[in-house]
Amino acid sequence: MPELTYREALNRAMDEEMARDEKVFLIGEEVGEYDGAYKVSRGLLAKYGPKRVRDTPISELGFTGLGVGAAIVGLRPVVEWMTHNFALLAVDQVMNNAAKLRQMSGGQISVPIVFRGPNGPAEFLAAQHSQSLGGFWMHVPGLKVVAPATPSDAYGLLKSAIRDDNPVVMLEAELMYPWKGEVSEQEFLVPIGKARIAREGEDVTLITYSKPIRMVEEAAERLAEKGVRAEVIDLRSLRPLDEETVVNSVRKTGRCVVIDEAWPMASPGVTVAQLVNSRCFDVLDAPVELVSGEDVPMPYNHTLELAAQPSVEKVIAAVGRVLYREDL
Amino acid sequence: MAELLRMIALSPTMSEGRISKWKINEGTEFSSGDVLCEVETDKASMDYEAPQSASLLKILLQAGETANVGDPIAVIGQKGEDYAPLLKGVGPEEGSAGRAQEPERPAEDAKQEAPSAATQPVAAKPVGKQPIEAGESQRSPKSAAEPAAQPAQRSPTPIAEATAQPLQQPAAKDAKSLPRKTPQAPARFPPSSPLARKLALEKGIDIRLVPGSGPGGRVIEHDILEFEKGMKGTVLFPGAGTAEPAPSELRREPAITQPSMKRLVIARRLSESFFTAPHYYLKKKIRAEALLALRATANAARPTKLSFNAFLVKIVAEALVRHPEINVYWRTPGATGAGIAGVGAAGAAAPGAAKETAVGTTAVSSSTVASSSTVASVSHPVLEQRHSIDIGLAVALSDGLITPVVRDCNLKSVSEIDAELVQLIEKARAGRLAPEEYEGAGFTISSLGSFGIDEFTAIINPPGSAILAVGAIVKEPVVDEGDTISVAQTISLTLGCDHRSIDGAVGAVFLADLAMMLENPAMALV
Repeated sequence: MPELTYREALNRAMDEEMARDEKVFLIGEEVGEYDGAYKVSRGLLAKYGPKRVRDTPISELGFTGLGVGAAIVGLRPVVEWMTHNFALLAVDQVMNNAAKLRQMSGGQISVPIVFRGPNGPAEFLAAQHSQSLGGFWMHVPGLKVVAPATPSDAYGLLKSAIRDDNPVVMLEAELMYPWKGEVSEQEFLVPIGKARIAREGEDVTLITYSKPIRMVEEAAERLAEKGVRAEVIDLRSLRPLDEETVVNSVRKTGRCVVIDEAWPMASPGVTVAQLVNSRCFDVLDAPVELVSGEDVPMPYNHTLELAAQPSVEKVIAAVGRVLYREDL
Repeated sequence: MAELLRMIALSPTMSEGRISKWKINEGTEFSSGDVLCEVETDKASMDYEAPQSASLLKILLQAGETANVGDPIAVIGQKGEDYAPLLKGVGPEEGSAGRAQEPERPAEDAKQEAPSAATQPVAAKPVGKQPIEAGESQRSPKSAAEPAAQPAQRSPTPIAEATAQPLQQPAAKDAKSLPRKTPQAPARFPPSSPLARKLALEKGIDIRLVPGSGPGGRVIEHDILEFEKGMKGTVLFPGAGTAEPAPSELRREPAITQPSMKRLVIARRLSESFFTAPHYYLKKKIRAEALLALRATANAARPTKLSFNAFLVKIVAEALVRHPEINVYWRTPGATGAGIAGVGAAGAAAPGAAKETAVGTTAVSSSTVASSSTVASVSHPVLEQRHSIDIGLAVALSDGLITPVVRDCNLKSVSEIDAELVQLIEKARAGRLAPEEYEGAGFTISSLGSFGIDEFTAIINPPGSAILAVGAIVKEPVVDEGDTISVAQTISLTLGCDHRSIDGAVGAVFLADLAMMLENPAMALV
């Protein structure tokens, strides 16, 4: 199986979908002439022309709204936000229009649109550009939210998102774009709403999504050296949430740690923890632990920046707490 | 600076205590030595005295709730101090230090040394998490994987079902009073994980009897599994006593109640004694006229009467002086050090200094708590010769038996013994006996004469080796040396001995001598 980078996998998905369906088009800042701020759209302008790959001014509310309008009248836009930080300007279009028009029109209007871009802290980007905002979108009924953590899932989920008749928000990450992984040459879709068991284990369930997956897998590896068999669940979709995969795992292990680089209040992580508490209560031998980003704006100082995020050490410490082991 | 006030060992055998009453309210200032609360231990109700002067900032353990020794029960400090960080520490983060001494397990405390008997809270130990073994041994994936459907099926009786319900209710109502991570269960339950509660229910284990190894004493799956191992062959108490049967329908059902902690201790101690010490009994009927006459003479000029028991104790003491071979402890590896009357104050080695030699290694200060720890473990049986004559007198109370001990009876007069007995019995009835007042009997007397019982056998009060059962004074026809039959005041004595430490002939010589002295009290002076 060929290896692709995460950005190449996204590019391939868009390329294939644009080739398959001429209603699909890409719009955003620097997506055309510059081949994308993170080169995700490399070559697409040349291949599909300026009508289907539209550069825009720096005007998130404007071009996001333009995308929503285009979706309402039957096109299938892919709106690229240079980052989710900038998308905060466009929240009204996403939350009040894209998410609600199907329900408010009694099902007469569909909004088949994809909003995608990098989310979460990268490095050296300071408080305003280092934040994990998935919870903003996950909060809203009417939206779907996906957060692929591998090139294969990025490819399969973006294709599913483009084909979905509902608005889908996709969480990528700057630091994930160069990640490499095997992606089948055969075309395939990854269903929205299905989690992935990244590693099987019996002793504790580690649940995460997006970029922290590699850190969590490393923690699982270190735990294995100490005899703890951790099961790692990559949620892949935050909304809808794959409750069954989560619940089945925790029913097996009786212990759960949720890892989320977002802040701890009203976050995807606490939503998952609440799900586990309510559906797995009888089998829990310890309170569900949450390893989140610290509850502060991201410090610029690099030492503090790292300290404010989940880490292998924090995950292992949390596993120690749910297993009542001090030797981890 | 604010600090956590922890449950301390108020008796040498205490592994957990229940707050029966807080004597001061939150926000109140107190001085060193003030009584903060009353704690119900395994034997008595004890005052918890303030270790220092401060204010009571927050009560963590409410009246009626139970905590392991070492667990926090309150926060003390200066008024207005922010103690929130301390409470965070009460949660899962706590305990890197580890538990220095694990509290006793009800079922198998003998293997572990009792917490050091500090009466001063400063000696309280830090509580910590008990490390548990890795991997598979600590968990049971199979049971965890099965959802909660089973308990109802396995619990056919209405009472068991009634018990099941509260077990599955989360502790939401208590959640507001403490920070998010602090485990807090309703008063009925100790802090415990849902999995532990579910397992306990399935296995018919009363979770309150299970020592918790998690943060804040939380009972976790591992603890239930360990407890189950220790309880094999022991009676379990599946009914948690929480069920209130409907008046009419359930009247035919047995009422299952949870025995008090004291009841459990009595059950354990006496079972252990009866099933491990090979008892034999010697019987002797004595004539009591001389003793009764002596008592009448002594009491004639006294405003308060000396009790019959005081004379009995004194004469038994004199007999023990002449027969030190009766005044011994038999200790076996793994056996409980403390008897129902507690532990040997006299003759016990200091904690940690396990005593291997047999006879007479330790002379005794008879009354300090510090010296009354059990000999925690011995590798082989030892015979411990006691040098002080400390005699326990079994006292029946409504909630169970207790055995106050009169020390150094050979050095005290009958009136001194009587005065002590009066005081001890009064305290026992009030549930206020201190450990040093009920522990360490070398010999025990039990009397059921006041109930009209002619004669009976008694179970040895470990670690002592003998017990004297005294029946009622009854008039009986006796045949005297001249073969004439007359009416006499008689008492039946039954001496129960542990054959491991006292052979039949040794016991017989002692009983014969004792009987002779009781019939002729003047001989006690000789």
